[in-house]
Parts: sequence; structure tokens; C-alpha cells
Amino acid sequence: MIEFLANWLAFTPVFAVPLLLATLGLIVNERAGVINLGAEGMMLCGALAGVACYIEFGESTAVGMTAAGIAGLLVAFLFAFVVVVLRADQVVTGITIVFFGAGLTGLIGLRWNDTAIAGFRKLDLGLLSGIPFFGKVVFAQDAMVYLTVPIAFGVWYFLFRTRAGLNLRAVGENPQAADAAGIAVDAYRFWAVAAGGALCGLAGGYLALAAAKIWVNEMTHGRGWIAIALVIFARWMPGRAVFGALLFGGIEALIPRIFAAGWPVPQYFLQMTPFLVTLGVLVWVGVAGKRRSAAPGALGLPYVREDRW
Amino acid sequence: MPDHAAAPPAGAYRARRLGRLNLEVRQSIGRVKHAAFIAFGLGIGLAISVAILMAAGVEAANIFEEFVVLTFFDRLGLSSVLIECSPLILVGLSAAVAFRVNFWNIGIEGQFFWGAIGATVIAIFDVGPPATRIGLMLILAMVGGFLWIAPPAILKIRLGVNEVISTLLLNYVAYLFVLNQIYGAWQDTRDRFPHSEAFDAAERLPLLGWEKVHLGLVISLAAVALVWWLMQRSRFGVYMRFVGANPHMALAAGIPVAMTIFLAVGLSGALSGAAGFVMGAAQEHRLTGTMAAGYGFSGIMIAFLARNNPVAVLVVAFMIGGLYAAGQSVKVFYSLPQALVSLIQAIVVMCVAASDFLVRYRVHWLRGAAR
Repeated sequence: MIEFLANWLAFTPVFAVPLLLATLGLIVNERAGVINLGAEGMMLCGALAGVACYIEFGESTAVGMTAAGIAGLLVAFLFAFVVVVLRADQVVTGITIVFFGAGLTGLIGLRWNDTAIAGFRKLDLGLLSGIPFFGKVVFAQDAMVYLTVPIAFGVWYFLFRTRAGLNLRAVGENPQAADAAGIAVDAYRFWAVAAGGALCGLAGGYLALAAAKIWVNEMTHGRGWIAIALVIFARWMPGRAVFGALLFGGIEALIPRIFAAGWPVPQYFLQMTPFLVTLGVLVWVGVAGKRRSAAPGALGLPYVREDRW
Repeated sequence: MPDHAAAPPAGAYRARRLGRLNLEVRQSIGRVKHAAFIAFGLGIGLAISVAILMAAGVEAANIFEEFVVLTFFDRLGLSSVLIECSPLILVGLSAAVAFRVNFWNIGIEGQFFWGAIGATVIAIFDVGPPATRIGLMLILAMVGGFLWIAPPAILKIRLGVNEVISTLLLNYVAYLFVLNQIYGAWQDTRDRFPHSEAFDAAERLPLLGWEKVHLGLVISLAAVALVWWLMQRSRFGVYMRFVGANPHMALAAGIPVAMTIFLAVGLSGALSGAAGFVMGAAQEHRLTGTMAAGYGFSGIMIAFLARNNPVAVLVVAFMIGGLYAAGQSVKVFYSLPQALVSLIQAIVVMCVAASDFLVRYRVHWLRGAAR
């Protein structure tokens, strides 16, 4: 039992990190007032770029992750151009980005399809990793797991402890007021979307390089959408996102453990659990938080200055 | 005027020389201009698509041949367009009905699957006499689609749960349930492949006698007529429009807002279920795990390009049917993946969505204005 628990908890970060990176990216997006439903597509582009560059450029996870972040960034530039500069409908454009990502990766990803890779390796921190139970769970993860902690902290610090973060939140809450105060609304939104896309790209890259260690079409399998739901669950707070990502990472990590343990549970019903739990969480948020919503005031609304000339 | 007010700071002076862009929200736009802007967006989307096809190895000369001549001006090609567009019309209508009341039904694939499951239950368990079976399959398919969208609809109306996420999550649940059935209880005992057993002759939609075009086309056209009447001519259509435009004002005017949303969204689910039935009873002749792939997004894009107008849905679905049919042959001859069809659709939608910018705003360059 202890072994099962240790294995399960040791696998949780691998599933939690991609969810957390994507959720953090989406929080930055939505705090600036842009709802990004294209997370799944950005993650797919990140995943393919990560695996392709990992294979082609000397099997380096650092190169792979950088490429994944850049791929997410490029797709986010496209999304930001259409919804921020051209002020198109954010819902339609976001959904389109998902299929753009799926189509693009399906078309150019054939070369790298189904090639197993070594990907991220678990670090060996010597004595620390040797501690029974705790060592395996906390001190024997891969480098990106440890790197995600400062990233999460950085997002929180940026949003809630810097002037730029305050401006960004003002833009998402009330762009009219922010504009009147001299904040460049479009610029903040554009770069918020770009940063969010880069984080989604990293999430996809990590998913491919650490969790799956392979590229297959549409491998994100709904995780981008779960991340979008996690933003609501986290009430747009990075700290709560960490908690939510660990919870959902835990559920995802449990599924292969249950298979491995050979328990007679119907496979496909087990795979439904993350989606059903996500739905349950949304319902719970709906029941509990009906009176005061934590959503940014101008979420999903394009901003036009409408001044005189 | 005091002196210090007259001299602006250095930064402002630079901005003043450059000037800036200004957006004016158009109060109205002429029909010709509107059409021209949309055509501009569409043209750019198609140009990018052609460039992608050429990059993927299809010769420029063959693109016109494959996507236009052999698709729309060829007996066999046109018949396959008509076959492909039957379920597309239904999912397009499904999306249009839901979008009209501002409900983003992204779960079309899930409702499609439940429609196919409903039809399959009747077919493989031979429910009812053979003569009534097709009718029963259609009804149960529509019930299946309706039941799958009812929970998100109720959650949205009662608790304000975001329907984009809830309907989408249920797609995965429906897909996994189909896998559970076709790898389990309903797996074909003859060939052991992961799909249900084939439907009998009485459980397939009859052909109309022109190539392989089947009754599904008639069902789709009837659905267009019905939805057109409902949206454009009936009292319910006025309610839908009102609720979609401004739910608060609709409530104040005494319109049953929640019921209007629920019924419109329920109809949306039933239409997607019907699409699953057409796919199962006329094209696949069984329940498969891949039958719904792509129909969710196609439905959304058709409704978007058609501006939720049922008659325009018919036209757009016909064009997308052409893309599907041509995609099939390009797939075979150039060994290109199905993903190509998604990519082209996504690019076209993105370009048309972007061209809305020109429809909505008039752009001015203000020379010499401060930022």
C-alpha cells in the first residue's frame, strides 16, 4: 500500500506540471481580459515543436522546451493579432485556434509520429533522493518540476506585486478606466496573450517530453480544456491554481497506477474521471460562488476607445 | 495661458508628430461593402489554403481540378458532395440554433455520438418491426442528442456554469463511452474490429436513385425548412432573437427566457443527434469511434460563416461538403492526413473572423494626434 502511494504521489507532478503551466498562462490571459479557448491548440503546437526539436537537435530537453515555448508564442501572436488588434470574437477565434493547432500538427507532425523518446530524466539528488518515501515523491523529480515552482511564484509576483501586473489586471477589469489612466490597453492585452501562449506551449512540450515521451496526434486529449476549467476553479489566483493542478494531476496519475495494479475497473470509464471531475468542480463553483464572481470584469470583451478625432 | 501648459513633454511631442490609428464603430454598412469585406477575408483564407496545399505537395494546376472541377462539376464528385453535406447541414443548423440564443454549443460531437448510439441501439437489438425501424432510429437519435445537451443547458441556466467548457468536456465522455461499447459489449463478432456490427438493410437510409445519394439529404433539407420557419417566421423565433440580443430586457418584457434557451438548446442537441443518425444509417452503417471526428468544429464554422441563418447554413454546408469530398480524394492520391481539412477550415474561419474588423470599424489615421 505504501509503495502504491509512493508511486502514485511520485507520478503526480509529471501530470500536474503541464496543467499548472497552462493554467498559469491562461490566468495571465484572462486577467488581461482575453479569454483564450485555444489553449489546447497552443499546447499541441508546443508538444510537436518540443518533440521534433528534441529529436533533431541532439536530444536536449532544454532545446525541446525552448522550442515548445516559442511554438506556443507564435500561435499566440496569431491569436493576439486576431482578437486584440482586429478585435474579433474571442470565443470563435479561440475554438478555431484549437483546430488550427490540431490540423497544423497533424499535417507536419507525420515525420515524428510515434517515435518514442527518452525525454526528461528524473534527477538524482543523492542523499535526499534516498530518503524513503519522501525522497521518491519530492526529491526525485525532473528539472522542469522544480523549475515550475519559481514560474508559478513569478506569475503571482508579477500579477500582484508589480506595477505592470496591476496595470494588466486593471486592463482586464475595466479597460475604459485603464485607458483613461494612460495604460496602453492593447499592448498589455497583446503581451498577456503572448505570455500565456508561451506558457501553454511549455505545458504541451512538457507533456510530450516528460509525461508521454512520444508525439502522437491530438495527444493533449482535452488537457487544455481542463486547464481552462481550472482557471475558474482557481478563481484566477495562481496559488489556487497550484492546488487545482496537483489535484487533477493526482487524478490523472492515479489512472495508470490502477491499471498497473490490475484492479478490475472498466478502462474507458476510468479515463472519463478527469472530465467528469472537472465538470463536478464547475458545478461546485457554480453552486458555491454564485453570489460573487471572481472573473475579471471585462473578460471576453474587445475594447474600442471610441474617441473623437 | 501660463507658459508651462503650452510646452508639452518631449514624449508627447514625438507622439504628436507620428499620429495614431483611430477606430470608429460603424453604425451601419452597405450590403455591397459588407459582402466585399467578407469576400476579401474569404479570398485571403482560400489563398493561404492553396499555398498550404502546394507546400504539402499538391501541384497548383491540380488544386483547381481536384477542389472545383472534379468536386462540383462531375457527376460522381457532386454526388459525394451531396452525401457529405447531409450531416454537415444538420450540425450547422444545430450550432446556429444554439448560437442564436447565445449558447455556445461546443459539444456537437458528443451529441452526434449519442445520436449514433441511439440509432445503434435500435439497429443492433432489432427493436420494432423492420418497416418502422428507420423512424425509430431517427427518434431515438434525436432523444440521445437532446439528453446529452440537457445537463449543460440546465447547469448554464440554473447555476451559470460555462457551457463552452461543460459541453466540450462531455465530448470526451461520450467518445470514451463509445470506445467502451465498441471494444466491449457491442464489438463486431464477425471481424473483431472495434466497431459495432453492421446495420441490416432495413436499418439503412434508402438511396434516392441518383448515384449513392440517400434519404439523409431529404431529412437535412426538411430540417432546414423547419428551422427556417422556427427561427424566421414563428413566435418562438422572435423569442430566440430577443433572448440572444438581450436576456435581461427579454425577461423584463415577459418572455420566458429560461424556457426559450432550454428549448433552443435542446433542439440543437436533437439536430446533432440526427446528424449522428444520418452518419450511422447512411454512411458508416454501424457505430464507429471515428464517425464524429471533425463534425463539431465544422458545425460551429458553418453556423459562424452563415451568421446563424438557416438558409445560409445550407449554402455553406454545401461548400464544406465539397471540401470534405475533395479532402477524401486528396487524402488518397497525395497521402495527406485528414488534419488538412481541419487546418483549411480553421484558416478560412480565422480570416473571415478577422475581416469582421473591416465590417465593424472604420479605420482612421490621425496625423499629428497625441497617443
